[in-house]
Amino acid sequence: MKKLKYLDIMEKKMKYDEQLLLTFLEKMYLIRRFEQKVYEFAERGLVFGSTHLGIGEEATSVGTIMNLNKDDYMIATHRGHGQELMKGTSVNQMMAEMLGKETGICKGRVGSMHVTDRSVNNLGAQGIIGASFPISIGVGLAIKIKNLDGRILMSFFGDGSTNQGNFYESLNFADIWKVPVLFICVNNLYGMGTHYCRTCNIEVYKKANFFNIASDVADGNDVVEVYEKTAKLVEMVRKERRAALLELRTYRTIGHSAFDKHPYRTKEEIEEWKKLDPIIRVEEKLKAAESEEKIKDVKKKVDELIEQAGKFAMESNYPKFDASMEQ
Amino acid sequence: MREISYSEALREAIREEMLKDKNVIMIGEEIGLGYGGVFGVSRGLYDEFGPNQIIDTPIAENSIMGAGIGTALMGMKPILEMMFSDFIAVCFDGVLNQAAKMKFMTAGQYSLNLVIRLPGGEGAGTGPHHSQCLESLFMTIPGIKIVNPSNAYDAKGLLKTCINLGEPVLFFEHKKLYKTKSEVPEEEYSIPLGKGRIVRQGKDLTLVALSYMVNVAIASADELKEKYNIDVEIIDPRTLVPLDIEIIANSVKKTSRLAILEESYLRGGIGAEIGSIICEKYMDYLDSPIKKIASKNVPIPMPASLANEVIPNKDRVVKEIREMFAG
Repeated sequence: MKKLKYLDIMEKKMKYDEQLLLTFLEKMYLIRRFEQKVYEFAERGLVFGSTHLGIGEEATSVGTIMNLNKDDYMIATHRGHGQELMKGTSVNQMMAEMLGKETGICKGRVGSMHVTDRSVNNLGAQGIIGASFPISIGVGLAIKIKNLDGRILMSFFGDGSTNQGNFYESLNFADIWKVPVLFICVNNLYGMGTHYCRTCNIEVYKKANFFNIASDVADGNDVVEVYEKTAKLVEMVRKERRAALLELRTYRTIGHSAFDKHPYRTKEEIEEWKKLDPIIRVEEKLKAAESEEKIKDVKKKVDELIEQAGKFAMESNYPKFDASMEQ
Repeated sequence: MREISYSEALREAIREEMLKDKNVIMIGEEIGLGYGGVFGVSRGLYDEFGPNQIIDTPIAENSIMGAGIGTALMGMKPILEMMFSDFIAVCFDGVLNQAAKMKFMTAGQYSLNLVIRLPGGEGAGTGPHHSQCLESLFMTIPGIKIVNPSNAYDAKGLLKTCINLGEPVLFFEHKKLYKTKSEVPEEEYSIPLGKGRIVRQGKDLTLVALSYMVNVAIASADELKEKYNIDVEIIDPRTLVPLDIEIIANSVKKTSRLAILEESYLRGGIGAEIGSIICEKYMDYLDSPIKKIASKNVPIPMPASLANEVIPNKDRVVKEIREMFAG
C-alpha cells in the first residue's frame, strides 16, 4: 500500500469560508481534547478495563457526520468517541460514561466501547468486530420497508473488520436488498497490531465494487476532502436509496488501547503521520486567512467544556446494582 | 371446539399479528415464495402479505440475525426462522452478544422485540446437524426468553405473546409436533410466559417434560399406571426462561419425587438446572434423589437403532422411573 504523500496545503486554494473551517477546527479539537482527557483519566486508573482512542483520526468523524441530519442513523465503533460526540451526545454524558458513572449516557454500565444514544439516533457500538455489518443491513431494510424517505444509516467500521465474513456477506445483502446505508471505513492501516497489507491483498474500497456497491477513497486526514467526498455519497444514498462505501485513510498516533506501547510500528512512521495531523492542517488554512484570534477563542471554549465535563464526571456517582437488572 | 395442527396454530398466530401491524415481519430461508417454510408454517403468507412482510433470504444466518436485530432496533417486530434449530450456531454471536445484551448495554434505550423460531428435535433420521434440542445451551444467557410449546394450543397462545413481548425470545418448536393437533379456540387468546401447566394429575412422582417429550411422558405415565400402579404427575413448564418453578415445587411437595425428562443432552441440561433449584430450596420434600432422563451425551445419530438408544423413549422412561421406586 502506497504511503500518502504530504500534500502541500499552502498551495491549495481556499475553497471554504472561514466560518466552516472554524467549525471543522472546533469539532476536531473537541474530539482531540476529549480523547486526551480520557487518556489522562486512564493514566490515573479511573477508566476501568480499557479505552480505544482516536487521536489523529478526528477528521474521519467530523467531515462525515457533518453531512448527516439529526434523523439519520449511525452505528459507531469501539474507537468511536469522535463519532458519538459528533452525532450529538453531550460531552458530560460521554465523559461520565467513560468513568462508569451513573450519569453516563448508558448509566455507566458499559463505558468507552459501547456508547449508544437513542435520542440522537446513535444505535450503538459493538465489541465484536464485524457484528455491525449484518445489523446495518437490518437497519437499512427497516428504513426501506418503513419508507423513511431520505433518511440513511451511516455505519462506521475499521480496516480490520473488513476481513470478517460478515463484511462480504453484508455487502452482498446491501446489493440484493438495495439498502440506504453509507458504509464508512476508518482505515488507520492497523487492525490492532497488524498492518492491513498482511491481512488482505485488496484495498477496502475495491472490495465494495465486487458487489456493485459504489465506493470512493479519501485522505482521511484532510477534513475538507472527507467532507466533500462524504457529501457526494450521502446525496447518492439519499436519492438513489442504495448503499455506498467510503474508505478514509488515516492514522492513530496513539496505541490501539490506552496502554498499548505499539511495538508493531516505527517511531519514524508515527512522526510522518503527525505531520499530516488533521487539526494542524485546518489551522494552517485558517492562519493563512489571519484567524489566529478566532482559533484561540475556539480552543479556549473547547478547553473549558472539557474541563467542566471532567469535573462533572469526577463528581458523579457510580451506579448501584438493582435486582431488576437480573434477566 | 375445532382442532388444528401445531403448524396451523403458529401460522394463525403470525397471520393475526401481521394483519394488525405491518411492523410484524418474518425473515428466513425458504419461508416465502415456493415452500412457505420447510415445515409449512408460513404457507400462504407471502401471497397474502407480500415481500415487505415475508422476506426470503440467501443462505446466510448471520444476516438473518442481523436483519432481525437491525429491524428490531428500528421498532419493528421481526420473527426470524432458523430453518433447523442447529443452524443457530452460525449466528450465535448475534444471539449471545447483541440480541440478548442490547437492553442492558444501552441501559434500556433499546429492547429488541425479536422472536427467533427454531424447529428442533429428532425427526426420524434427520441426523446430527438437523436434530438437536438446544434450549439448555441458551438457558444460561441473561437477556433472552426461552419458550417451548408442546401442543398447538400452547404454540399459538405463546407465539402471540412473544410477537409483542418487546424482548428477544428463542421459540423452540419440534419437528414431530407440527402435525399434531389439539383444540384451539377461534377467538384470539394469548398465554403469558412463566406459567406452566399440569398435563396429568398424579400422586407418586412429578415428571417435568417439555416439547415433544410431553407426549413421551404421557405414554410412559399411562404404562406406569396400568402395569405398575405408579401414578405420575406430568408438569409442562412451557417456558424455560422465565421458569415456573412454583408449579414444579408444588407438585414435588405433593409427590416427594422428581424426574425431569428432556430431549437435550444430559450434561448441563434442563434437568441439571431444575434439579439443582429443587434440591437447593425443597430438599426436605424429597424422598429420593432427583432423576434426569435426557438424551445421552452423543451427537444424534441417523439410524433408529442408534437414535432410539440416545434419545429417551417410553421404554427407557418407564424403566428409569420404576428404578426410583425399587428397594
